[in-house]
Amino acid sequence: MTMCEKNETLRDYLFDELPAGERREMELHLNGCAACSVELEQLRVTTSMLKTLPDQEIPQRIGFVSDKIFAPSLFARFVAALPKYAALAVSAAALLVAFNHPAPQVKMVVQTSAGVDVSKQLNEAVSAAVRQAKAEDAVVLKTALDEADLKHQREHRMLAVTLEQSMEVLQKRIGVMTQLASLETPQNGAGQ
Amino acid sequence: MIFRAVEDADLIVRVRKGDVEAFNHLVSRWEKRVYNYLLRLTGKTEDSLDLTQDVFLKAWQNIRKLDDTARFGPWLFRIAHNEAYSLFRKRKPDASTDDADYTEREAAPGASPELTLSVNAALNRLNPEQREAVVLKVYQGFKFDEMAEILGCPVSTIKSRLYTALDLMKTELAPVAGRGGR
Repeated sequence: MTMCEKNETLRDYLFDELPAGERREMELHLNGCAACSVELEQLRVTTSMLKTLPDQEIPQRIGFVSDKIFAPSLFARFVAALPKYAALAVSAAALLVAFNHPAPQVKMVVQTSAGVDVSKQLNEAVSAAVRQAKAEDAVVLKTALDEADLKHQREHRMLAVTLEQSMEVLQKRIGVMTQLASLETPQNGAGQ
Repeated sequence: MIFRAVEDADLIVRVRKGDVEAFNHLVSRWEKRVYNYLLRLTGKTEDSLDLTQDVFLKAWQNIRKLDDTARFGPWLFRIAHNEAYSLFRKRKPDASTDDADYTEREAAPGASPELTLSVNAALNRLNPEQREAVVLKVYQGFKFDEMAEILGCPVSTIKSRLYTALDLMKTELAPVAGRGGR
């Protein structure tokens, strides 16, 4: 069958790459052109055969940004955390002002600056955190001491049992040896 | 597709504000497509996995450089294309994918083994540029202008590669189609 001059447009039509107007034109052309209709059908068969090879599932997940390799840089983390440090910066600035100026101005800062409140809150929060850390440490220490004590008691009991068993064996051996000795003594006397 | 593009654009805006979860969402949306594109390019599972990982790492690092958020797909595949060819260049100076092995690819349920073998063989006989054009158009469904962006060449070149490949495959697969291998 002779190839139609609209061969390339036909392929554009197949892949839905024609503007609406040209698409309608091609549909009209296809109604009257047997060569293009056959060609289109063959191309459709070819592409559908290609699609019999489906996508495969990924054997393992791709590392997400929450994974270590994707962790933001130090600078990015610093930028992201800036708002959190804003209050701290305000209190630091207030302290700086307090150090660089005489008492009346310090008083003014204490009276007016919201940074002092932040500083107080910060101190309280730090104290609370220290108290909590100490309490946690005490619990950990107590648990460790208790465990060590229990272990020591277990080992002591096991040693006592072992000693007791050894003593029993020893006593049995002494008993046997005594019996043997008592059996041998009359024979010796009889022989003399 | 429009809703998807809108959602991707929205996610990208959030990623640019430092929203890690939004990027995770983008990864889970695109990882299978990127992996399969690279698998069809390299023919090797391990290489495709490593490359996919690298592609998303690069995307995360460079997402601020993406000019048009609606073009995330082609931009991501451009990275994938560059990563794949960078690997080929490291392994072979002439940057070829000729050693790719497609014979192990599984067929869709119901497809005959003969058809699977024939399609794999036909894909193997294409040159790397033709094969990539087929992968991007037939398997990934990109438009010509998007393919031009991914491959960094004019639409006319892409059409030429694709249509030549299609003609070759039509001839190659005609006997199988005639035997009802479809």
